[in-house]
Amino acid sequence: MKNKADIVIIGGGIIGCAVAFNLAKKGMKDIVVLEKEFLASGATGRCGAGVRQQWGTRQNCLLAKESMTILENISDYLEEKVDIELKQKGYLLLSFSEKETKQFAKNLEVQHSLNIPSMALTPHQAQEIVPILNTEKIHSAAFCPTDGHANPFLTTEAYAKAAKKRGVEICTFTQATAIKIENGKIKGVQTDKGFIETERVLNAAGGWAYEIGEMAGLKLPVFSERHEILVTEKVPPMLDPMVMSFSFNIYCQQTPNGSFVMGHGPKNEKPGHNVNSTWQFLEAMAQKVTYLLPAIKKVRVVRQWAGSYNISPDRQPIICESEQLPGYYMAVGFSGHGFMLGPSIGVYLSELITGETPSYDVTLDLGRFARNEIIAEPSVV
Amino acid sequence: MREDDIIICRCEDVTLGTIRELIRQGYTTLEEIKRIARCGMGPCQGKTCTPLIAREIAAITGKDIHEIMKQNHRPPFGGITFEEIVSGRDEE
Amino acid sequence: MILEYDAAIIGGGPAGICAAIAAGKNGLKTLLIEERDFLGGQLIKQTHRFFGSEEEHAGTRGIHIADDLKAELVGLSNIDVMTSTTALGYYEDGILTALHDEKMVKIKPKSMVLATGAFERFLPFENNDLPGIFGAGAVQTLMNIYGIKPADKVLMIGSGNIGLIVSYQLIQAGVQVIGVVEAASKIGGYLVHASKLRRLGVPIMTRHTIKKAIGTDKVQGALLCQLDENWQEIEGSQKQVACDAICLAVGLTPLADILSQMGCETTFIGELGGIVPKRTADLETTKPGVFVAGDLAGIEEASAAMLEGELAGLNAVKFVTGDERVNERIHHLKGELHGLRAGPVGEKIRYGLAQLFEDSVITSEKIDSHEHDITQLAHTGIPAWENIDEKMPDEQRMIKPYAVIECFQEIPCNPCVFSCPFDAIYIPKEDINLSPVVNFDKCTGCLSCISGCPGLAIFVEQRNPEQGKGTVSIPFEMLNRPQKGDVVDLLARDGHKLGTGIVTRILYGQKQDKTAVITVETDIELVNKVRNIQLQGTDKKGVM
Repeated sequence: MKNKADIVIIGGGIIGCAVAFNLAKKGMKDIVVLEKEFLASGATGRCGAGVRQQWGTRQNCLLAKESMTILENISDYLEEKVDIELKQKGYLLLSFSEKETKQFAKNLEVQHSLNIPSMALTPHQAQEIVPILNTEKIHSAAFCPTDGHANPFLTTEAYAKAAKKRGVEICTFTQATAIKIENGKIKGVQTDKGFIETERVLNAAGGWAYEIGEMAGLKLPVFSERHEILVTEKVPPMLDPMVMSFSFNIYCQQTPNGSFVMGHGPKNEKPGHNVNSTWQFLEAMAQKVTYLLPAIKKVRVVRQWAGSYNISPDRQPIICESEQLPGYYMAVGFSGHGFMLGPSIGVYLSELITGETPSYDVTLDLGRFARNEIIAEPSVV
Repeated sequence: MREDDIIICRCEDVTLGTIRELIRQGYTTLEEIKRIARCGMGPCQGKTCTPLIAREIAAITGKDIHEIMKQNHRPPFGGITFEEIVSGRDEE
Repeated sequence: MILEYDAAIIGGGPAGICAAIAAGKNGLKTLLIEERDFLGGQLIKQTHRFFGSEEEHAGTRGIHIADDLKAELVGLSNIDVMTSTTALGYYEDGILTALHDEKMVKIKPKSMVLATGAFERFLPFENNDLPGIFGAGAVQTLMNIYGIKPADKVLMIGSGNIGLIVSYQLIQAGVQVIGVVEAASKIGGYLVHASKLRRLGVPIMTRHTIKKAIGTDKVQGALLCQLDENWQEIEGSQKQVACDAICLAVGLTPLADILSQMGCETTFIGELGGIVPKRTADLETTKPGVFVAGDLAGIEEASAAMLEGELAGLNAVKFVTGDERVNERIHHLKGELHGLRAGPVGEKIRYGLAQLFEDSVITSEKIDSHEHDITQLAHTGIPAWENIDEKMPDEQRMIKPYAVIECFQEIPCNPCVFSCPFDAIYIPKEDINLSPVVNFDKCTGCLSCISGCPGLAIFVEQRNPEQGKGTVSIPFEMLNRPQKGDVVDLLARDGHKLGTGIVTRILYGQKQDKTAVITVETDIELVNKVRNIQLQGTDKKGVM
């Protein structure tokens, strides 16, 4: 492990690896990524593997769309032949009320302003796309055919491989234990395998973002929350798009290998790092999915797990350099959509770090909360 | 047929060659190999292949088998259909 | 609805049933969960008599032990049994879920005994996904539970007890076993089982392994090779054999998924079969109130599993009720377990346990306590003549019938002592691991001991030097049983034909419990060589 670096990135998930790749591509030397377990072992690898562009805020739509463009061309982009199991069979968002349908209409306007090819559908049209859908209580739907699925492990690994090829040192099973600060300046990062001298640190620690903030004396306005998920046995293809509802609180997709992955947002979950599974989740999911997609009632659940959403006050990520501590960068509070935003965030953050003009006109800094510029994302599970 | 074509994970059809290549690339934990190659994610949840992969890791890296064999297991064991989960709930 | 119990026991094999009985007898409201649709686990596939201590079911066939235990279980009204029920997971709120009657049921137990057993290891070799490659346990299940003959010509890989016993059972089912292949230099299982196979003509090839299964759509043969001392292939040693099934008996691994999912700490101990739970001498895991027993706690014989099951069950009782009255029995069980593991065949388990209890000392006094060299036996399954000579009476005594006990390996077993109506068999120093000795002054040659020996290692001989004739009585468990007066082929300890003899007597009553005792008359010089017979024209020995 290097003992001196231009930047130490804490966290080997999609964000850490994407930023490392972009920085290396820009020519930065001596980049070290610290990962306390293996790559994508935290939130990235535990997520639902969905990638969608149908958001309700302009900047989420923009970042998601840019990310999708990168994923669509990932081999060219990383200059390496990689397979990330990208499947673009769409996201079908379900509305269960007039109010929700109205929100969908507003969202579509925003999406169309960015040329995202989304559309409003009647329940009948929705059923044409998902024949196994129970449309009984469905009011309307929205669909974007280019949304879909990518494999979080393979995507993170692809970034990591490309980063390593460009000189990035990725230290798995290496934990950051302290950030050394002298006279208001970062001096280095202490790890369980030695000390790395550096003036710049990126907090890309996902579920552990708050703790990595505390290491530098920062109280970041984020907390972690358990979100559960399950996967089934492989079965023949029967569901093309991701089916998702914010009001019914579910997302469910059949992955390219044939298994279904699904989850929901928890109720009354205490903030914390508990990622144990619960039987109550199994029951809640089973109840919902057998209602919405009755045809899969005989499919067997083979595994369940949980991961942390790192949640910010407006459920949008916080991407900036700390005003209190120059050289301390943060990419935190992704609130459950870090994987799908990762590729564009990698670009954006590398530009912030190298001082270039950002490619995307977005407001993601910590200061937005003080300025009251909060635009809460309406479309989250 | 070459040795590399030997099937190690019968659920997901992962060969010895694939496993060895991943180990050589630096993936030296069961968790990483499982996530990249899918071995151990099938119906048997790694009962057959885990010891075989651990042995390969030990052989190539010289790592202690005690360290390699540390692995998490996730419920529900044996699998259960959504219908069966719901039926248990109906009794309440 | 959440079902509440004092104790939930997962696994209805020998360990789980014994745990349930112990818990139930002591008043706990107990639930026993078993994945299969029957209780008994591996016991019900075991058609052989069990080794071990007479007071712990030894001398009884496994399947009958299962019946006895089930009968005891049924008599206890505070035990609920759920068969065809799979434990799914254990959650942070103390709820155990299980798939029962097509429903996910929720159970809240105050204590648990995990006795999920083990699963068969697999071996990587070329073409190992061809149809016709079985685990030995699967073959045993097909034959002994479902009555299905799995193949016609089987190659067995692995000479542990499972490989040896299943080979023998295959032959009983009319299947030809072409050989047993063993990578180690010594036979892994009890040598009496090996000797049983050898006298049926089955070769046991130590220091050999399988390289490849041959066949396109199904197994048609196998490519074997010899190994050197470093387990590397010896060049030019490849050998092709024909068979239609390959049976893998290469060991068991504890089924520990649920343990680690529950948060019980585990560790890898090769001698115990792989990942095992960390646990106390009272079988409690690192999670208070959660106990383990049987193969899950470390791969061992079923006799140990039954003792551990009871021990775990009693400790669950103590955990739930605080009742100290079970202490005496707990102490006794620990002593019994210690005894079972004290001999040379328990060495591996002792090393394994020593790693588990870091401070414990391996009781070394019994290791290598062999008074006699059994190297030849351990390599081939056939005892050396000097071993056999030790077991013989002097020449004058030979004119009257006498028992020859060809049991040379120190294994924990004593049913022969109890089978003798004349107290002629004893085990020195009352150490269950030592080989039995015949007191020829008391022995009448009554044949009682022959069918009582789980290893089928006792023979009765008599010599009549004046006529140049003699008789030998052997245990016989094959279907082609001869009739009195038949002329039969006489087979040696390695299965080769020695000549012919006449059947003069057959014992096949209730007492023999399906192990016939057949006496043949032959030339005097063959008496001590004949260890098997076969009907003429039924030659089906190994052909490797």
